[in-house]
Amino acid sequence: MIFLTLVLSTFREAVAKKIFLGFFAISTLIILIFLFLINVESVEGMVDMMGAAGDEGIRKLVIGFEVAMIDISYLLIITFCLISVSSFIPSMLEKGNIDLLLSKPISRTNIILAKFTGGVLLVFFSLVYLIGFVWIILSSKSGFWHFPFLYTILWLTLSFAIIYSLIIFIGLVSHSTILSILVSFFLVFIVCPVLYVREATIFSLVENNVVQFIINFFYYILPKPSDINKITTDIITGEEVNSYMPVFSSVLFMLAVLSASVFYFKKKDY
Amino acid sequence: MNIITTKNLSKEYSSKSFSKEKILALNNFSFEVESGEIFGILGPNGAGKTTLIKILLGITHRTKGEVKIFDNEINTETYKFKVGYLPENHKFPNYLNGEQVMEFYGKMSGMNTAGVRKKTDELLKIVDMEKWRKTKIKKYSKGMLQRLGLAQAMINDPELIFLDEPTDGVDPIGRKEIRDILEDLKDRGKTIFLNSHLLSEVELICDRVAIMHKGSLVKSGRVDEITHISDNYIINCSDISEAIMNKLMMNFKATILSINEFHFKSDNIDELNRLIDFIRQNKILIRGIQREKNTLENMFINLIGSQN
Ligand SMILES: Nc1ncnc2c1ncn2[C@@H]1O[C@H](COP(=O)(O)OP(=O)(O)OP(=O)(O)O)[C@@H](O)[C@H]1O
Ligand SMILES: [Mg+2]
Repeated sequence: MIFLTLVLSTFREAVAKKIFLGFFAISTLIILIFLFLINVESVEGMVDMMGAAGDEGIRKLVIGFEVAMIDISYLLIITFCLISVSSFIPSMLEKGNIDLLLSKPISRTNIILAKFTGGVLLVFFSLVYLIGFVWIILSSKSGFWHFPFLYTILWLTLSFAIIYSLIIFIGLVSHSTILSILVSFFLVFIVCPVLYVREATIFSLVENNVVQFIINFFYYILPKPSDINKITTDIITGEEVNSYMPVFSSVLFMLAVLSASVFYFKKKDY
Repeated sequence: MNIITTKNLSKEYSSKSFSKEKILALNNFSFEVESGEIFGILGPNGAGKTTLIKILLGITHRTKGEVKIFDNEINTETYKFKVGYLPENHKFPNYLNGEQVMEFYGKMSGMNTAGVRKKTDELLKIVDMEKWRKTKIKKYSKGMLQRLGLAQAMINDPELIFLDEPTDGVDPIGRKEIRDILEDLKDRGKTIFLNSHLLSEVELICDRVAIMHKGSLVKSGRVDEITHISDNYIINCSDISEAIMNKLMMNFKATILSINEFHFKSDNIDELNRLIDFIRQNKILIRGIQREKNTLENMFINLIGSQN
């Protein structure tokens, strides 16, 4: 009950921070575009261009839209939701606020877990709204009810959860919203994409084994949202997923960072 | 029965990150708070008052020593169901309104919605914040925030309430109202633990006080005991001859202030009356005898002054 109160309070906090509403505004815009502007029947020409006619063409078109939605949703989550949750921990740690929270009958471990759960559920529901509506509109317009697209909600929530765990840790240690945002953006937009394509780019330039080993090492320990997006795409397009290693190692990263956060928070004086 | 007991409680803070230098915020601090009393902690800035409260509530970790609250060690969270707390410079989430603050902290203390509603109505009336309940707290004045903070500390009908500077920023009428609220809580058998700089106020409501300085306990006891240790009298009379002055100084250790005024210190009524007999026998007329009571403030200033 106390845990739930804290989880729900994160929802209220996110809504109070206007930036989160930006996510809803843009999601709603996308849903409206799908609802009024995109008409699967009228894009027959596009279907023809894709080299297949009839039902097969429509399937391809729908899947094409779905794959595009992965990247769009991912970008929306990272920009709006990540920014909005990154102030959760620093604002909780403000003097006069944390004191009162810690005087309540809830353990420090549960405080961290409640903040984590709150942020993850927030993103989950946001994705249910966006992906759910897009799916219903696409399906009813095309008559092709493609259920694997719905897994996107879970995969993107997982990607978010992994990065969010790092945001919690940085927030606890630095008390800084800006730093949390900077580090996570650096990771998500620079480090992870570069590591993802390391073989095609860096390794073709640098042949030194030691350097390659170090870069691989970072690839394996750091979270891999780019790989998870690829897996999500593969699942939607029906291609075989090469390896789930990126998922397992990213989840391990998340668990390790969360444990470190709990450990740090428990020892700290406020 | 003791509600709070500490034994040799110590707390070291590291003064800067990555530095070995330590600040001793509490130094072998042992004290007890009895059930049903209003207990006040006094001390200059940085004495360790807030640190003490934070350790009792598990917000800060002690370096060593023992703490018992409700007769139990404080290594679980359960005792916090029966505790209320008003932190110094509290900061509630500013997107909430008064009512929502009460609801959030009530539920965080394990209450259900119906219980919180009922208590909120009652308490907001008591602290005179009813008409502000729907207003966002970022529009509150300092005194209003303090009133809401006090109501919040009472939401779960706690057995033990910690108040860190409860009258900070509150006007004199408000302070009187807060004192009445605290008296009322005491009448209902609650225990109140109070930190305050306002000594006259502490004097008015506390049953017992502890004075701390640089993390150590300097003195503790009932307020009247502490302030009545010795009585000073100023005696105003007709002119005193030199011979009598000498006798007053020799026999009664009086301090002559002027030709018709002297200072006499004694906690013994008989001795005071012997002095009066003496001056009357010497045909000196008494104009007035004024008893100087040692206020908590005087006591505090002398005590802390002598420690520095
Ligand atoms: N988190 C902290 N880290 C390091 N030192 C601290 C910390 N909190 C308090 N201190 C130090 O501990 C000492 C006691 O501080 P505390 O806040 O308990 O004083 P106080 O008696 O409440 O003072 P005031 O009357 O000003 O509120 C001070 O020297 C302070 O600098
Ligand atoms: Mg203080």
